[in-house]
Amino acid sequence: MSEEQAKPAAPAAAAKEAPPPPPPGELGKKLEAKGFKVEHLGPDANGTEMVRLQAADALKASEYLKNDCGFDLAVCCSGMDWKTHRESVYHVYGTENHQFFCFKVNADANEHAPSLTTVWPALDWHERESYDLFGIQYDGHPKLERILMPSDWLGHPMRKDYKVTDPRLVWNER
Amino acid sequence: MSTPTHTPLQGVTTEQGHKTNDLVVNIGPQHPSTHGVLRLITTLNGEVVKDMEPVIGYLHRSKEKMAESRSYFQYQPTIDRVEYLSSFYDHYAFISAIEKIANLKVPKRVEYIRVITMELNRITSHLLWFGTFLLDLGASSPFFYAFRDREIVFKLFEDVTGARMMYNYYRFGGVNADIPPGWLDDVRKFLDYFPDRLAEFETIVNKNPIFLDRTIGIGQLDKATCMEYGVTGSSLRAAGVPLDLRKTNPYSVYPELEFDVPVGKNGDVYDRYMVRIAEMRESMRIIRQAVDKIPGGDTAELKKLQDEVAAHEKEITAAKTRLAVAKKNEQEPDAKDVAKAEEKPKEINPDWLTLGQKVNLMVFKPPAGESFTMVESPRGFLGCYMVSDGTPKAYRVKWRGASFSNLSVLPHLMIGNLYPDLMAIFGSLDVILPEVDR
Repeated sequence: MSEEQAKPAAPAAAAKEAPPPPPPGELGKKLEAKGFKVEHLGPDANGTEMVRLQAADALKASEYLKNDCGFDLAVCCSGMDWKTHRESVYHVYGTENHQFFCFKVNADANEHAPSLTTVWPALDWHERESYDLFGIQYDGHPKLERILMPSDWLGHPMRKDYKVTDPRLVWNER
Repeated sequence: MSTPTHTPLQGVTTEQGHKTNDLVVNIGPQHPSTHGVLRLITTLNGEVVKDMEPVIGYLHRSKEKMAESRSYFQYQPTIDRVEYLSSFYDHYAFISAIEKIANLKVPKRVEYIRVITMELNRITSHLLWFGTFLLDLGASSPFFYAFRDREIVFKLFEDVTGARMMYNYYRFGGVNADIPPGWLDDVRKFLDYFPDRLAEFETIVNKNPIFLDRTIGIGQLDKATCMEYGVTGSSLRAAGVPLDLRKTNPYSVYPELEFDVPVGKNGDVYDRYMVRIAEMRESMRIIRQAVDKIPGGDTAELKKLQDEVAAHEKEITAAKTRLAVAKKNEQEPDAKDVAKAEEKPKEINPDWLTLGQKVNLMVFKPPAGESFTMVESPRGFLGCYMVSDGTPKAYRVKWRGASFSNLSVLPHLMIGNLYPDLMAIFGSLDVILPEVDR
């Protein structure tokens, strides 16, 4: 039984090892031309261009995106837990060019990432939520506190390894 | 939820020598005008709001975490509870995110059914807002009128989905069941009935001096502030920005339908009211076109056609069976049967189906990928960010509710304003708390 299951898995694993590198998108090229280190992630299923930015570049790159590329509306910031590391996924929208753009910023080993609230103040609550649920520490955030969970909650519940061990909770809440 | 960080209380001595003190008022969490459970820690100096801090999270039900422990299909009924006043939109965002990742084809008839139900949902959502907003301002009769007409649309939803509010009707690449026969006529009847009622509402409200006093020039928002706080939807359009995803980033069959995007001028409470009323009219316009244009037309005729096709196919199969029997028995085949067996089976236009492609819902595995789908919900940008890792369960689902960002602008609007304007301003933002907390 185990052999049968292993057989179809093998070609799939081989295909996963060598995915074709996604083509660089228009905005990714623009960002690269400005001297930012960009990893192209290709378009998502909806056609939105995605890139990964370095944490050190994120603030300046987002200033460039807002002021020169017209992305004036920060739609949302979503935390992501990839078990090995955590990342913030930012979606921005240009109200003049009607374009969506997505960039991801990895949090470092100590869960720190730059806060982009100075560029897009709309991200204030979104980054707080992402801190609350994933524990990503946004440096430079004006008020990094829990927003959805109670302020004395232990742990960050959207993490994949999260287990409720709070002794204050009754057994069926634990 | 956070610890309050309001400004320290300060005393003021008036010219007459009276000493006043700042007062902290805790509005909510249980308050009839907060449309859910919202706590506002407000510092008042007399009637002027000096500081305000919204505390949210009382309705947090971990909808995003729930998605990671259920299959896509099992998660679907819980989506209705994210935003229960216009849950067709949440379903559309979720379903179309999966359809994009899995590349499922969706028949045109399905898209038309979705557009009709979504726009009807916009009317019910705006009607509830209309009733409760005026109730907040102290007018109680519009509430009853709005709820009376909302119930008619709920009856229509009940005929289609079986539920008044928690629909769970859309499926991956289709809808649960075709609309019942004669339903389109019921919708047309509603479209004939409703414009007069809407005009009636406007006669009651629009020129009421108390209403005008409490709304004109109150809670003004401009484009820059909207961008600063991420405010979208009718509140942004009331500030004069014609940003509507149905027009700017069209999805579904909206490009085939004609409609306008109503915008306001001053961005105050009154403009937000006028924009929402105008949006109901535009929704009716969209529904009227969609009802006329829907591929396949009314279900009764479509059913007749489907029966014809099925009967024809049955005849061909029967003829083929008879031929096979004749061959086996070495008899002369009937000429009629030979002719019949060579006929091509009739086909229904693929646009007329209610399911593009059958998927086994319980073991449905979309390929690894991610999608960020935005729709224009009655409250603004509603987004579903979905990451699939190729297993039957979603790796991550993130809801970007419009109310979450729209609520964050409330302190900006309130600080320096009078406390009695709070309910007018908060009501006009059309925030729904389950969507804020998820």
